[in-house]
Amino acid sequence: MIPPLQRRIDPAGMIAYAGATWDWHRLHHDSAYAVERGLPAPVVDGQLFGALLAEQLQDWLGPSARITRMSFRFRSMVFAGETVRCTGRVVSEADGLLTVEQQVEVIGDNPRIAVAPATSVVERRL
Amino acid sequence: MNEVTYTSPEELGRAAIRYFAQAVGDANPLYTDDAHAREHGYDGVIAPPTLIFETNQFTGLPRDADGYCGHTWDLDFPGTRLVRGGNTYELHQPVRPADVITVTWRLGKIVRKAGKIFVTSTATYTNQHADLLAVNEETLIYIPLEDP
Repeated sequence: MIPPLQRRIDPAGMIAYAGATWDWHRLHHDSAYAVERGLPAPVVDGQLFGALLAEQLQDWLGPSARITRMSFRFRSMVFAGETVRCTGRVVSEADGLLTVEQQVEVIGDNPRIAVAPATSVVERRL
Repeated sequence: MNEVTYTSPEELGRAAIRYFAQAVGDANPLYTDDAHAREHGYDGVIAPPTLIFETNQFTGLPRDADGYCGHTWDLDFPGTRLVRGGNTYELHQPVRPADVITVTWRLGKIVRKAGKIFVTSTATYTNQHADLLAVNEETLIYIPLEDP
């Protein structure tokens, strides 16, 4: 088992991520824009979950590990104010390469899978 | 046009790396502390692994009406809405503050399946020394508006 990583995605964090990635699309920060399109709140940028999955692996394996491949599929949208939890397990290890399978789930009132499967390969350096 | 290349007008920079890490909420000192990074075999801070795939910093494009300034193919499929399908990232070497990044986007297959349209494209990232940094294969899905 890989230690889980849990994070609430609050509006300020979403604005920070939009700024850091130069992605100012209104979908990610404008509540009125989201509501006009039948969505409950601004939509979390999906690739943020890639960043969280990488953080989970790097925190677990330490600074000498290096992620060489990540592949993930999006299953449902996540909205401002929701809390996500990244979990994962080791699938195989050979020749210093660790293959892991992770997922991102939304926890709380409307639990669902946000990202799955997410498969990563990590190189363990000495 | 099925292929577009953008080269960043400047080095990625330490501030962009620290900003991304702080925005994600990732406190790993590899991204902010040169001495720590050197202890672990790097020549200074590196970027968080997924930064290179996400920033529109390299494109130099203006914001569109929705505020978006990233790369798009201007594909138009009336009666559909766009959702992100998935990504596959290959990370060939760590990205560093001094990297001046060039990204080349190539439009791949467009497949219709079960009423949906799947568009695959690939972005290849290099630096000013022509080192291959990373590759991003992205699938976008255009879903009929009447679908839930």
